[in-house]
Amino acid sequence: MIKFHPSEQHLVLYAAGELSPAMLMMVGTHVDMCAHCQSHVQDIEEQMASKLFGDNEQLARRASFDEQQMLQAIFNSQVPADSVPIAANDSLYLEGQRFALPPTLARNHHHIGEWSRLPGKLWRAPVRVGGEEMLNFIYMAEHASLPEHTHKGNEATLVVNGVFNDEHNEYRDGDFMLLDGNHKHSPATQNEDCLTIAALEGPLHFTTGLSRLLNPFSSLFFK
Amino acid sequence: MPSAQPDNPEHAADLLAKIASEQSRAAFSELFRYFAPRLQAYATRQFGNEQTAMDLVQETMTNVWHKAHLFKPDRGSAATWIFTIARNIRFDLLRKNKHRQNDLSADDLWPVLAEQNDSLDDDYALDNDLLMQQLAVYCEQLPKAQRTVIELIYVEGKSQQEVADALEIPLGTVKSRTRLALQKLKELIKHDD
Ligand SMILES: [Zn+2]
Repeated sequence: MIKFHPSEQHLVLYAAGELSPAMLMMVGTHVDMCAHCQSHVQDIEEQMASKLFGDNEQLARRASFDEQQMLQAIFNSQVPADSVPIAANDSLYLEGQRFALPPTLARNHHHIGEWSRLPGKLWRAPVRVGGEEMLNFIYMAEHASLPEHTHKGNEATLVVNGVFNDEHNEYRDGDFMLLDGNHKHSPATQNEDCLTIAALEGPLHFTTGLSRLLNPFSSLFFK
Repeated sequence: MPSAQPDNPEHAADLLAKIASEQSRAAFSELFRYFAPRLQAYATRQFGNEQTAMDLVQETMTNVWHKAHLFKPDRGSAATWIFTIARNIRFDLLRKNKHRQNDLSADDLWPVLAEQNDSLDDDYALDNDLLMQQLAVYCEQLPKAQRTVIELIYVEGKSQQEVADALEIPLGTVKSRTRLALQKLKELIKHDD
């Protein structure tokens, strides 16, 4: 049972495509693993669609265009080249161990770099998705611990497989947590190992784009 | 004739079904006249650029025309499906404008238009869970050459190119062996159900 979920705002910005690349991957992976957030994202998309297509006021103000011409162009168009997806690869290997990746990570397997070993039974592999924010797999073997640390910005962590603890809680598969800069913590594993992905998060914006359709003050999604 | 509008979800779903089954231009034109201007109004405000907005409209509606068969009425409304196509195109347009080659593509984040195919056009058409559970058993019934390829790809996670290199055979051979093997596996699995 997943205990920790991304915020409402994260889900809205994910559905709009307006998070940083690193955070899109983080939230997308959680959504893969969490039926609750999956149906929530569907609701959000439904809501955005009805706002977008229901705005008759904007419709009246737009410049008209030659609809007949565009229709003809579409009828005459080729089937869009099947963007043959780079085959999803849901296996991630480390030290001979196989981890099954959720679909979002599997579809983006080609962005995953090499593992490197860190002191203290830790491994790290970058996921190169562009943007300012780093996205990394962090693997903690059994009985591993990270020294107590704080973060400059917000740090998001998602458990892909396994379990780890900090002073506050225990985190298992699918759990998504966001720690702000003031939050001290020291994650550790016990008898089980743990594969996570982690990203440093910049500030969230609702100033432009599709997420703006759901104005924080009018939307039922913000409480 | 009752004059249902495309803002009626059932009517919009019917129109998509007609486009999918008989390439009905009339059905598409009706959908287009409802959705295209609304997309345009929104995109113009968004992009502040008439041309980019028109690109978004045309690309979105072109996908609706050719990919209507991928709409699944049980998974959401027609309007939402069209919205998610537009969302993906917008995402990729914004990405292209930044000239970033390594970034995420919308289809890899939200596979709205992925063929959930029953056909074997896709080399990876088998459902993954099914694969993991049953592959080992069924693989034994494959010819040795096919089995080797399948094991390297699905058990060891190699790419087809890596398999070709490892076995020193052409990539085309790996592809055809994979396809044949998956076909055979599907038959075996179906047969067992
Ligand atoms: Zn959730």
